[in-house]
Amino acid sequence: MRAFSFSSAPLDPGRYRAAIEDPAAGGYASFEGWVRDHNEGRTVQRLEYEAFETLAIEEGGRIVAEAVAKFGVARAACVHRLGSLAVGDLAVWVGVSSAHRGEAFAACRYIIDEVKHRVPIWKKEHYTDGDSGWVNCERCAAVAQGHDHGHDHGHGHGHATDDLASHAHLHLSGARQDYSRQIALPEVGRAGQAKLAAASVLVVGAGGLGVPVLQYLVAAGLGRIGIVDGDVVEPSNLHRQPLYGIADVGRPKAAVAAERLRALNPDVRIETHATRATGGNIDELVKHYDLVVECTDNFRAKFLVSDAVVRVLKPAVFASVHQYEGQVQVYRPLPHWPCLRCLWPEAPRDGMVGNCAEGGVLGPVPATLGAMQAMAVLKRLLGLDAGEAPALVTVDLLSLETRRLIARRNPDCNHDDPGTAAANAPEGPVLELEFGTLAEAFESGLELVDIRESWERLHDPPGLQVPTHLPLSALVSGQLEFPTEGRYLIVCAHGVRSLSVTEQLREHGLNQVYSLKGGLAALRS
Amino acid sequence: MNRIEIQYFAVLRERTRTGRETVETAAATAAELFDELAARHDFGLPRAMLRVAVNDEFADWSQPLASGDRVVFIPPVAGG
Repeated sequence: MRAFSFSSAPLDPGRYRAAIEDPAAGGYASFEGWVRDHNEGRTVQRLEYEAFETLAIEEGGRIVAEAVAKFGVARAACVHRLGSLAVGDLAVWVGVSSAHRGEAFAACRYIIDEVKHRVPIWKKEHYTDGDSGWVNCERCAAVAQGHDHGHDHGHGHGHATDDLASHAHLHLSGARQDYSRQIALPEVGRAGQAKLAAASVLVVGAGGLGVPVLQYLVAAGLGRIGIVDGDVVEPSNLHRQPLYGIADVGRPKAAVAAERLRALNPDVRIETHATRATGGNIDELVKHYDLVVECTDNFRAKFLVSDAVVRVLKPAVFASVHQYEGQVQVYRPLPHWPCLRCLWPEAPRDGMVGNCAEGGVLGPVPATLGAMQAMAVLKRLLGLDAGEAPALVTVDLLSLETRRLIARRNPDCNHDDPGTAAANAPEGPVLELEFGTLAEAFESGLELVDIRESWERLHDPPGLQVPTHLPLSALVSGQLEFPTEGRYLIVCAHGVRSLSVTEQLREHGLNQVYSLKGGLAALRS
Repeated sequence: MNRIEIQYFAVLRERTRTGRETVETAAATAAELFDELAARHDFGLPRAMLRVAVNDEFADWSQPLASGDRVVFIPPVAGG
């Protein structure tokens, strides 16, 4: 039987028990979770379980493998029910066979606790009074109580819309944020909403492009948004920046924007940086966010942001407008993706090609391009842009023509190698790289090295073949040595061991070695 | 002679007062085509600052042209 599985049919413990029998086992411990008739003082009639299955099976399998490794038991398995259950029905079964009882009990306890804490499963209770409600997932409750689990589980943390009720966002009107219209999209769902809630985005420039970017990202329920803008609201801004009003003239844009956006959605943490982006502060600003949206109106800032995201390896979405036209470009820190300088090797000087002040612009033009940037951000965060080739998209709002011009990395560009640029960065070198999937990590051109122990690889083989295996124990004991040449991405389960190995190798002068941030646990399936 | 479909973006569209035109030309490369057009239009920007895309793909200025090619001249844009 599989280590972790779901069943829509009633659970059959006898059958599962037989499947984990082992001649080396001297005992068996099991746990059964049943549907009880009450919760928090209300009488429960029946309930429904729903899971984000792909993620849940992966995480559940990982938990069982951890228990087997941690307690040295013979076999272990867990089966969880899905669908509609009545009071008394079996909701979850955990079984462990082991040489000795102590380990069997401990492993069983570990599995059920971790499953409840980490696996994205939602429970909807139906009460005798006809009412019903989704119950907080235990993970959210644990986070709210400051439960420190000691390690980061990376993904699958389902802050579903209903769970957010537990985070006390009941506003004066009694209303709370409702993301149901985006969760209803099959590609988004609860898992997608959880990804958005976990994401942080830096918006550089809160003008014509930045306003719609901020509004839509805040409304979508992102976790944290930073605003960089050193300007004050001017009367000439308002026709294309309707987040501000005439009464705001003279006030700092970042502060006014934060005020309006917090009122729009208090779920989102808004951070203001009421300053101009400069060479001195840009890396530090960019570093603390998952993604950057470049919304300024000048070349100096655009190239500043481009250089910074190349150095610190962050994805970015650029846009510019001129009169009735605009351009959008997505940058991803992958070897074949062009940066802004790849496309424009002769970085233009401001004033040479016109900006809004010189060229004039109608409000809906930056609004359209800004909305396209917000869409590009959501696509990136939700993983909906897989297979999208690097391109510059041009939009002409007079003819309503759009064009997708395929762009390539310029081999002569200074920023053709994020690794080199990162190693040369004055702000402290980048040690960790983040990837959505193992396939993306492969695409990076770095050679993957798995430093987990052999038993870990057996229980949790990497989704794709990672041919180079240098177990940490063998590296520490000196049995094996890390190659001194080449570019490597070191992977382990949660990114802790790989980071410390990376730090040590850097100290020994290996500048092209990186750690997979969050480890294999942080990757999507 | 090649028949080339040309499209101008942003400040180039303004300068040429036309979004698009079709020309019969002996220009062998994108660079030659641009230089030929620059004699007619006041582009106001050096070629080095612009990019050219041929058939919806960014190209080198040395890219050879064929009849029926769609050529786009793109200046950098900064407004926001």
